This record gives sequence, C-alpha cells and structure tokens, in this order.
Amino acid sequence: MTFSAPGGRWRYRPGIVPALLRGLLLAGLAAPALADDAPWAERTQALGAITEMPTGVLSKDELETLAATGEQLFGAHFTTLDGVGRPQATQAIDPTRRKHPREQVFFRTAGPDAGSCAACHNQPAIGGAGDFVTNVFASEGFESADFDSLDPQFSSERGTNHIFGAGLIELLAREMSLELQMVRSQALSQARATGSAVRLPLEAKGVEFGYISAEPDGSVNLDELDGVDTDLVIRPFSQKGVMTSLRQFTINALNQHHGMQAGERFGARWTGSDDFDGDGKSAEISAADVSALVAWQATLPTPVQKIPQADGWAEAAARGEAKFTDFGCTVCHRPALPLENLAFADPGPFDLAGTLNEQQVAAKAVYDIGLMDWARELPRDDQGRVLVPLFGDLKRHAMTDNQIDALGNELMSQRFVDRNIFQTAELWGVGSTQPYGHRNDFSSLDAIILAHGGNGRQARDAYAAASDAEKSALIAFLKTLVIVP
Amino acid sequence: MTKLRSLAAFGALWLSALGQCASAQTAFTADTPIFKEEAASAGITQSYTGGWEFFVGGGAASFDCNGDRRPDLLIAGGAGPAKFFVNESPTGGELAFRPLDTGLKEKDLTGVLGAYPLDIDNDRHMDLVLLRLGRNLVLKGGPDCRFEKANRSFAIDGGRAWSTGMSATWEKGNRFPTIAIGNYVDRSAPGTPFGTCEPNQLLRPRSGETPDYSDPMTLEPGYCALSLLFTDWNRTGQPDLRITNDRQYYRGGEEQLWQMSQGRPPRLYTASQGWQRLTVWGMGIAETDFDADGLPEYALTSMGDTKLQKLDEEAGEDRPTYRDIAFEKGATAHRPYTGGDPKPSTGWHSEFADFNNDTKTDLFIAKGNVQAMPDFASYDPDNLLLGGYDDIFHEKGMEAGIALDTRGRGAVVEDFNMDGMLDLLVVNREHPASLFRNLGAATDWGYRPLGNWIKIELDNGKINPAAVGSLISVRTGTRTQTRRIQIGGGHASGRAGFVHVGLGVSERATIRVQWPDGEWSHPYRVFANQHVRIIRGEANARYWYPVAQ
Repeated sequence: MTFSAPGGRWRYRPGIVPALLRGLLLAGLAAPALADDAPWAERTQALGAITEMPTGVLSKDELETLAATGEQLFGAHFTTLDGVGRPQATQAIDPTRRKHPREQVFFRTAGPDAGSCAACHNQPAIGGAGDFVTNVFASEGFESADFDSLDPQFSSERGTNHIFGAGLIELLAREMSLELQMVRSQALSQARATGSAVRLPLEAKGVEFGYISAEPDGSVNLDELDGVDTDLVIRPFSQKGVMTSLRQFTINALNQHHGMQAGERFGARWTGSDDFDGDGKSAEISAADVSALVAWQATLPTPVQKIPQADGWAEAAARGEAKFTDFGCTVCHRPALPLENLAFADPGPFDLAGTLNEQQVAAKAVYDIGLMDWARELPRDDQGRVLVPLFGDLKRHAMTDNQIDALGNELMSQRFVDRNIFQTAELWGVGSTQPYGHRNDFSSLDAIILAHGGNGRQARDAYAAASDAEKSALIAFLKTLVIVP
Repeated sequence: MTKLRSLAAFGALWLSALGQCASAQTAFTADTPIFKEEAASAGITQSYTGGWEFFVGGGAASFDCNGDRRPDLLIAGGAGPAKFFVNESPTGGELAFRPLDTGLKEKDLTGVLGAYPLDIDNDRHMDLVLLRLGRNLVLKGGPDCRFEKANRSFAIDGGRAWSTGMSATWEKGNRFPTIAIGNYVDRSAPGTPFGTCEPNQLLRPRSGETPDYSDPMTLEPGYCALSLLFTDWNRTGQPDLRITNDRQYYRGGEEQLWQMSQGRPPRLYTASQGWQRLTVWGMGIAETDFDADGLPEYALTSMGDTKLQKLDEEAGEDRPTYRDIAFEKGATAHRPYTGGDPKPSTGWHSEFADFNNDTKTDLFIAKGNVQAMPDFASYDPDNLLLGGYDDIFHEKGMEAGIALDTRGRGAVVEDFNMDGMLDLLVVNREHPASLFRNLGAATDWGYRPLGNWIKIELDNGKINPAAVGSLISVRTGTRTQTRRIQIGGGHASGRAGFVHVGLGVSERATIRVQWPDGEWSHPYRVFANQHVRIIRGEANARYWYPVAQ
C-alpha cells in the first residue's frame, strides 16, 4: 500500500525491540528469527529502512537521504536472511518458475552470480563499470534457464556498464520517446484529415529513427523504423538498448544477479505467491527499496572531461576532439543531447505492468536532479536546456558488415533486437572504464574503434586511414572523458 | 516462576503465529476488475421483452459498422424492436453510444431473439444474421452502418422457425461461409411444446461468384437447440458442429456433435465413436483452451451446475469423450453466490475472457430465472469467475459490481472504449440491458490499470477477410495462450473485431497465426498495450491507434 503525503515525506521503521520480546530474549526463549534485529545480525539493515514510497517533489535533503539509503542497498551484500537466492525461479524478467530447484545459491553463468550490485559496478567507484572478470551472461531465462556453459548458444556474455549520469540518460529517453510519439500522432491526424497515407520522418533531439507511415484508418506501418522499438519508446539501458527504465532494470537485476525479488513484479498480485522464488523469505524487496535504489542511481553525477597535467595532453586532446568530428564519430557518439527538464519522476511514465509506473500509484515522487550540486555545473544552451555530454544517441545500430564483424560474436537476439545490433555506447566515462566493447574484451580504445563495422564502418575506416599522430590525438581526447566520483 | 511460565506460553503462541504468517500462498491475489454500470448515461436503452417465445434468446451482436474499429451494437428486443447503436466512446473514457436508425422496417426488427455478425460476401463490411421468431433476416452491411435486407440477394430462406442460435465457418475451398441455424420448439407440431423440437438448418453455399444459399439442408434430429458452435475439437483443421440442447422440451434427446465432411452431409457422432450421452438444459457454449494444446475445453451453461468439459485423455485419440472438470476447477456456479437464494441457478450466455489481464482465463456467465420458475433462484446474479494462479476459478461478481438483480440472457464481452480492459454488455429479460465499463483495480485512492494486454485483428485477404476459424497463438516467456476466431456459441450473441489477450507483466509478445486454411504464419513480435493488425503475407505487424483523446 502506498501512502501519499505532501512534500514527499516518508517514515523510518522504529528499530526498537519491544520490551516483551527483549524479555523473551533474556529468558532465552526467543526464536532465532528475533535476533535479526541485533545490529550485528547477518542481514542488510538498509532493506525496509524506507517504509513508504516517497511522493511529491523531494527537497535536496530528502533526495540525498533517500539516495543514501539507495547507496547502502547498492553496496549491500544480500544474505539468506535478506532472501538472496531463487531456488524456484529463473532469471527471467517475467516471473518464471524453474523446473527443478537448484542446490547452489550462487552460480556463475545463470545466476545468481553476485553478492551485491557494487561487486561488479565499482570501477572507478561504486556505481561504476566492471572489468572482464565481472561479466554477466544475459539469457531470456525461459529455455535452458540453468545453462552452465559459456557457449554463446545459451547466453550473451556482457560487460558491466557504469551507471554515472544514468538519471539524465533516462530523462533524455523519456523526452525523445514523447517526441517520437508526437510525430506518430501527427502522422495519424494528418492521415485522418486528408484521407490518404502520410509518411513522416521520425526524429527526436536531432537523432533520426527512420520513418513512420500512417493510414487514414488509424493503422501505422512500422517497416521503416530504424534503431527504436515499434512502440516508439526509447529503452536506453543495457548494451542493446532494450531496458526501459532504471526502475525496471533494478528489478530485473535484483532478481537475476541476487535472487532478490521485488514485490511489484514478483509479488502475489502477479504470481499468486509472496515467496515466488521459494527461498522461504517473502517480501524481499519493497517498492520503497526500489525507489531508494532508483533515486541513488538517477542522481549519480555525470562523467566529466578532465585533462591530466601531463605535457602535451591538452593540445593532443583538442586535436583529437576535432578528429572525433572529422572522422564522423559524432554521427552516433553525439557530444551532447539537449534536455528540457531535470525532474525525474519515479515511478515513470513508460513502464508497463510488472514495474510500477505513474498510473499505478496514488502519487509519484519527483527527484529534481537539478538540486544536485554536480548538476549546477552542467552546460546549458541558449534555450536553457541542459546539454547532457553523453557522447551517444540512444539509438540502436548494426555493428557488423561482411568485412568487419568483430562485434558479431553473439548468437542470440535479445528482446526482439537482432544479434549484431547494439545501442551506441555512451562514451562519457570511457577513460575510467576499460576494457571496452559489449563483451568487455577489447583492451584498447584503438582495438574497439577498429572493430566498428556496419553503421560505424565509415567512421572506423576514416580512423584506420588516419596518421598515427591523428589516431593518437583521438585517444588522448577519449581518455579525458572520465568519471570523477 | 509463574512469570517465566506465562512468558513461555506467550513464546509458544508467538512461534506458532509466526509459523502461520510465514505461509506465502494466498487464495486469490490478482486484481479484481471493478465494473461500473452505465448503460443509461451511455445511451444504451433496450430491454428484451415479450411472452413465452422470448423467455429464451435475448442476445446482442458487436461489430464495427462505420470503419472506425470501435465496436458498435445490435441488441435484440424480443417483442420490441431490435436496436442499433453506434459506438462513440472516447478512448479510455466513459462509454457513449448513439442510437442508429437503419431505415429498416419495425416489423422486420421485432421478434428478434439474437444476432451474429458475419462478413458473408467478403466485402469487408460486416453483415448480420438476425435470429427471429419466424423468418430469419440477413442484413447486408455497407459503409457508414448501412444495412439492407439480403435474404433475396443471398438466396437465404429465413424459414418460419423459432431460431435461437447460429454458427458459421468457411469450409475448405469455399468462397462463402457455411451457416448453421439452431431452431427451438416447433409451435405448430401436435403435442407442442414437449417432444416437438424443430430440426436445425445447415446453409452451405453453392458455387458461384455471389452468396447462394438456395439449397439448405436440415440437421435432424433437432433437440431444441439454444447454442451452436463450429469447433475444431480434435486438431484436424476441420471444425465440427457442436449443438447444446434444452432438455426441457426434447424427448430422447441429448447434446450433439455433427461431423462435418467436405461435400458430404454431416453425420452425428455416436456413442460407439465416443460421444457420451449428456442431457442438460443447454443454454450456451463457450470455448477455451486452458493449456493451449489445441484440444479445447467447453463451458456449457444449464439450469443448476455449469459443465466444464475437457477431452478425456484416457478415451483414445479422436474420440469426442469429455469429462466434467467444473467441480475441480470451482466453476460449477450452480447456485447464486450472493443474495441468499438457496435454489439452483439458471445460466445463459457464457464466455471465456481475461477480464483482469493477468493471463489466466476467466469465465463470465449470465444468469437469470427463465421467467418465474419456482424451483429455481429468482435473485440469480451473473457470475464473474476469475481464473487464479492456483488454476481454480474464484467468484468475484460481487466485488466486481456485476451482481445485479436482473435476469441476464445474452452478453457481449468487448473492450468498448479501446483501453485494453474488457467491458461487458448483458442483455436482460424485461429490464434494461446492463453496460459495464471496466475501471481497473480498486485502490484506496482510485483505480489503477490492470495487467498488460494485446489486441489482435487479422486480415486474411479476399476470402474470409476476418479470418473466421483461425487460431491466434500468443507467446510470452514460457506461457502460450491461444484464441480461436469463431462466430457462434454464447447465448444468441456474437462478436467480431479485435481479439483481446491479457499479458500480465510481459512487456512484449510473439504472435503466430494459423490461418483458416491451416497455414501457420511466421512469428510476429509485438509490444504490449497495442492494437495489432496482422495482414496475411506482410512481414511485419502494424499497430493501430484509436483517436487520441
């Protein structure tokens, strides 16, 4: 049950053991479960620390306090008392029962494969990326859910991305989705008015997503879409750009990697059971816990450009930045996208049932990212829009062709996106988060650039044909895009 | 010492209470959809009235007649005239209908027991078959909800019988549909009404460029049919004809299954073939397939308990032997679930649908006393049996708000305001029809949307454009749900239009279509909460959008 109150307040659970229970403890009659409340108990104190989902626009203090709990949850090592493990459930995003329970709680390939989020997301700091050693194995979790081989037939091996600036990424995606859907509405109403088919280019914040054709009867033809889902929702997270929101991703990841199941997806409303994963613990993750995690992730500072003191670096980086444009890298790795509004609504507008969305709650919360100190440093254009320096375009591209298919190692499509299609990797922070590539197996920027086929081929060839000095300058530039936690 | 003992006792109590609290299974935990009855404000004013001949019937047909894809309505009036209503509901908003004057004579529109939509001449405008007491009427549909009598042009002899049911299918290789008409009591036969059931009628099209039904055949014996359904019960790709009959008036009768063969007269399945003798007060047939194995289950309403028939695995392949699983699934619905009337129910229209979008099939049953039968319940509210995660049906009619004191007959389950949540029209005997809008799930602050959904419209091309007889298979994760596009069944009520499937928490689905000729399509990948159009032969599905509000 959510609770609506003005000003976005919430309550903390009293951490006091009732006197009677203390009496039982002293009498030695207490059940082992009651020792959970001791400060040294082997459970995550932060779980359940926020009892109600926040509502309304949070003040800076409230937001920072909520995010602090989120950070604790992000860094917590979940235990059996918390409900880690999912003996009866697979890693699938849709609650799916396993055919046979598995003995081990942790399992490298099919998961759960991590004790905490920060166990992988830690480079250069908590919330960051991970080395190859932290790779995960993405599979739908339906057939062969218990795969124990690294063979790409069963899963796609993926590197751990950093989460810095993710709140702005999601806000960009929301604004762009609205823009694309407005084009669709426009095409439909024009088609209705004129009585003939209307074909319009799909464009959002200057990024092109193909064309949409509308018929006068209300049908739309989606054959010419490019790099976006057919419902015109930009899903900006994960390597292929198939996860809708931080909230959805958080719930997915908590289940896949830790076997911690959020009630808003795995609870009785959708599964008939409060303990869907059958580990003996019900109500493992509350909606408020998820809100705290989302608040922290959404308010992580953006990566920045920082030029080291070393001789010649500044000039090289400047030349490299020019080359970055000359080669054509900026066609996809756009240096910035403009963002109208920094108000992050949680739950958000584009999630469907299974992740709380704004229609499912009495009142949503708003995390005003503009309140964060780091947000004040963000550049703005003359219209007052924040220029988010993501070096990406939130669009999916084919990354292989007949000659260059180093990035075509995967065998499985993921959530309707073909094997060789990936979302443009945001390059902000690339200087802090080697190795590179969706499998995290390219140890140099030079190598990953040369691996760009398909839509990136032209820029890649321009780089390959450039002189060593030019290439070096480009690397110098890219290495200035760092995360300063 | 006593203090310690009392503490120990408390501790024991505390522990046992903890043990009970740890139980994770709850009885019914999914959303209960809340329905708001708004026929009057929506402009739907129609009562099904009349004498004995109109104790049965009372149906409606739902279909789009003006090309905006919002489902319009024809509601039978019995002794009073049937009425047409054009749907003007805003998307996601309150239901709104405008009465339509088709210009048809009142004498043609009175005496209507029910109706079914069917595109007989393949011109992509829904035609209508009006089941009447006396001459059945076929109306050819045109653009902008124009209807004209077509008995002559289609060479359909409406007959003089008391017609109560209908079903249609396109038999292999035929350009036009085969139509089965169910007839009830022959009022002119000696000894009527007992043991004097009229034969049923099978209208097979003659070959030619236009519909020509001038060579009808009778299906004898008739046992006072109240519902018919062409159904592929055994995965042969050839639908047979199931008929549910009213034991009140037949003598020596039973439920019937006619084996349809191309170019040959139908033959009844016999007991030696496995068809077991079942006698019910058969009012309506509903079809579903709980486990998507291609072998459908059927709900048969009756007086007293509803039958839920599942093909008996032990009977051997291709034997139409059914066992009743209503009791084990909690779907007997044999008595009113509220109101305190202890006498048995009378069930009429039944229909399987997912009313709360949780992927589990639900069952709606319209209920109501025949007229004033003293041995049966008089306050007999309609049932909303919601399928639970425990694979058992849970009665939620009361909470849902449909437990009215009306005598329900036919019904239409349809999403009238294009918001993905199924609404409900119930035709009532001697009472205004009820129109229920699905508001979603109740919370302490209002209503929240239900689970995800998908709605699918098929385009099969020149012949049978609406793909009657096709199978839609929707896969989400490890779950497959199927829907068969059928015209028939229910109680004198039929529908055409988008097919609704609930998707629960799935954000996307993969759809495959088995077209009426048996050919399977490739998989279509779609996102949830969309109206999808699948046009045969096209690589990708299209989405359709209602006018934004």
